[in-house]
Amino acid sequence: MIARPSSIVALAVSAVTPIALLIAAYALFVGHNQPGGGFAAGLLLGAVVVLRTVAGLQEPKYAAVLLAIGGVIVGVDALSPLLWGEPLLDQFVVSWNVPVLGTVKTGSALVFDLGVVAVVVGLVTALLEGFGASDLAESGRTPTDSQIEAGR
Amino acid sequence: MIWFLLALFVIAVLVIAVSGSRLGRSSLWVAAVPMAATALWSVTLLGSDEVVEAGFSWVPGLDLEILFRVDGLRAVLSLLVAGIGALVCVYAVGYFSPAAAGMGKFAATLLSFSLAMVGLVWADSVWTLFVFWEATSITSFLLVGFKNTDPVARTAARRALVITASGGLALLAGFVLFVDAAGTSVLSDITPVTGSTATAAAILILVAAATKSAQVPFHVWLPGAMAAPTPVSAYLHSATMVKAGVILVALIAPAFQDTDVWKPLGLTFGLVTMIWGSVGALRHVDAKLILAWGTVSQLGLLITLLAMGTPKATFAAISILVAHAVFKAALFMVVGEVDVRAGTRNINELSGLRRSMPITFGVAVVSGLSMAGIPPLLGFPTKEAAIEAVLGLADTELLVVAGLVIGGAVLTVAYTTRLLLGMFGGSAPMADRVVAPRRSAMSAPQVVLAVGSVVGFVALGRVSDVVRTASVIVEPDAVVYTLYRWPGLTDAFITSMIVVVLGLTLGGLLARRTVLTGPAAHGAAIADTVIDSIGRAARGIAGVVQHGSLPLYLATMIVTVAAASAAFVGEIDTDALYWWDNRAEAVLVVMIVTAAVAATVVSSRLGAALVLGAVGFSMAGLFVALGAPDLVLTQLLVETVIVVGFVLGLGRLATKFPKPTRLWLVGRTAVSVVIGAAIAVALAGAASSPTGQPPIAELAESAVDVGGGNNVVNVILTDTRALDTLGEVIVLLAVGVGILTLTRRRTRAVGPAETPSIDLPPTDSDPRSVAAEVSP
Repeated sequence: MIARPSSIVALAVSAVTPIALLIAAYALFVGHNQPGGGFAAGLLLGAVVVLRTVAGLQEPKYAAVLLAIGGVIVGVDALSPLLWGEPLLDQFVVSWNVPVLGTVKTGSALVFDLGVVAVVVGLVTALLEGFGASDLAESGRTPTDSQIEAGR
Repeated sequence: MIWFLLALFVIAVLVIAVSGSRLGRSSLWVAAVPMAATALWSVTLLGSDEVVEAGFSWVPGLDLEILFRVDGLRAVLSLLVAGIGALVCVYAVGYFSPAAAGMGKFAATLLSFSLAMVGLVWADSVWTLFVFWEATSITSFLLVGFKNTDPVARTAARRALVITASGGLALLAGFVLFVDAAGTSVLSDITPVTGSTATAAAILILVAAATKSAQVPFHVWLPGAMAAPTPVSAYLHSATMVKAGVILVALIAPAFQDTDVWKPLGLTFGLVTMIWGSVGALRHVDAKLILAWGTVSQLGLLITLLAMGTPKATFAAISILVAHAVFKAALFMVVGEVDVRAGTRNINELSGLRRSMPITFGVAVVSGLSMAGIPPLLGFPTKEAAIEAVLGLADTELLVVAGLVIGGAVLTVAYTTRLLLGMFGGSAPMADRVVAPRRSAMSAPQVVLAVGSVVGFVALGRVSDVVRTASVIVEPDAVVYTLYRWPGLTDAFITSMIVVVLGLTLGGLLARRTVLTGPAAHGAAIADTVIDSIGRAARGIAGVVQHGSLPLYLATMIVTVAAASAAFVGEIDTDALYWWDNRAEAVLVVMIVTAAVAATVVSSRLGAALVLGAVGFSMAGLFVALGAPDLVLTQLLVETVIVVGFVLGLGRLATKFPKPTRLWLVGRTAVSVVIGAAIAVALAGAASSPTGQPPIAELAESAVDVGGGNNVVNVILTDTRALDTLGEVIVLLAVGVGILTLTRRRTRAVGPAETPSIDLPPTDSDPRSVAAEVSP
């Protein structure tokens, strides 16, 4: 049933994708002041990846790359305050004026959150990749239980 | 300057790591640069009272600091570490053939070791010291096992690692207790501590030092480590790695002088090691093993002197530490050159090398005589100082300690004589051995060190000042002592002349004989048996604990959590509990319970997934009712991803669950009820007796002030408690990497055309090879 996705599902998912991306970006940026944040944004993007995989629009890949990028971002953000003598994970806040949005106050926590996003998306992708969703999306064939047993 | 030099080390390691394969042996020259720079800087600090400090607070909340301090003592030590390191790099250029493989890796590892060692001697916080201590264990493991296709080298490397790493664990425990007892983790601030905690710390730290500095019975790794290439031995096993334990004892001795165990335990380790090491040196015919056992013996002497704790003994220990590094590194280089050029290290096969290798012979004589403590060489005044220190003892101590130290000195002279006669004596030309031509890269560093032994004696006044400045750091009362070129006809001088005569006689008699030859590597065999059984036990435990049954894993975790929450039962105060804030909660709870019960009875997999989803979404509703929008958002998203994921997976499974057995059904239900009840009890218990004010006000305030955000929950995640989030991110990363590696390996292993991706070392006949450990 999932293996041969209907074109209606595919169309719906591809229509929803940009909206979901926008919401994810919104959740990431407002996270500091309203519900949202890196974890939520990452999950939203993860849900997009899962839906697109199920709909047969793409196969999950780059899990390792995403995990690595996320790990590096978080690690660098965590360690960099040490360079100017601040404690580990200390964050600095900057605020500047953006024409349309007014005064935007943000900080290195946003960078940290970006790393969290990458890690969460990477993990979801890794789950899909690891558990063989790619053959599903690719060939549309459903392995039987016995095949799965044999592969174990 | 400290940061600059450490950065220079790191940069050089990176340069070699990136381009080592192209540079080949030249990477050793790159490796020599930071070492030489460090040595030169250390020279400028020798003998001065100047103290250079550097450091930063890493996690202030946990008192974790990285601290370095270079004073008179540490300048001497880093001069030895970096100076001999640079010489060893030059020597290695000659030692390895131009075609030798893996030179980049070798140079990078050697340099990393050197960095770890420099960090260790400069460390001023016990935690910094511990980190570098462990780093030396790991890098020395890699260096000893450099010939990783050789099973002997691998076994030796593993033995060294297991013994020194166990010592590392003891050290960690010892430091924790020490910091608890002393109230400081800064080495330069320590004051004498007493009490049972201090006693335990003293024992643990001494044991750690004993493992690193090859004290009996932990010495078994050192002779085995001779399987390493000789430059490694010349570096690690003369001046650096094995001295780490001695350095630790010297630095921390002032804290433990007053505990009951420190002195007797230290003296026992030291004296037994000193005698057993020199006996070992007389037993072997392999010149390198003679040196290794000789090192064991000298380390015993150093620990003995430091454990005595008198100012004179400390002064003697520091001076011997310097002299030993200089002559022992030179002797290892001599043996390595003999090995390379004559093709053997067996003193029964070598003969008459004094004619074919004159320069090496000269170096060997100078350094050997320095080791034997014969004037006019640096070894002489330092040994005088040691004998004088032990003769200054009284009563039983005089009898035992002085007797053994003097006996050890006799044996030292004896094995030195035997080594020199064995390698260079004799006139018979060696059968079927051609001595290869000299390589100046090998000769130059030896000559430098040999000249060092001579110049050290000529300029003894300067050496004495430097040693005094260094000793004062450990023992302020050592300020009155000096090394003498000509002490006059003192008791110590007469004793040491008797020692020399006896030793020469004994050595001459034993040359080319192995009267004492016993089971050669008995201790090593025992160590290997122990290590093997540790491995077997670990595999056995893993086999029982990691049984592979997911339901059993879950049940184990749940029962453990439930048992832990049993303690909360007594805390529950029924008066403080109430049913709900808001009736919607009750409705939602009913929904959750219904869905949860349905999940246990539903027979189709899709149904189960949907019912679980219902639990999750109702939970999100509950969070709405409780006013936690962040939790709602996260819960909804998690549930969405999980349900879609389930549906995705269900495509690959049969639509219905297999028919459960009765036991399975009952067991599952029981476990579910237990965990539910346990969590409820724990929460009720925690909610019954709140203490203090809820931290909400404080958190909300700091969220705006410090974190710069109005969403308190997220500011907690990214700022206030960001360390927790960092930990969670690391967990996620580990899970992701785990999934990828496990599933990729499986797909590749079942794929018909591809080879297994597990990286096994080349198989060999060694039953203890890594291959045995991979198989279940």
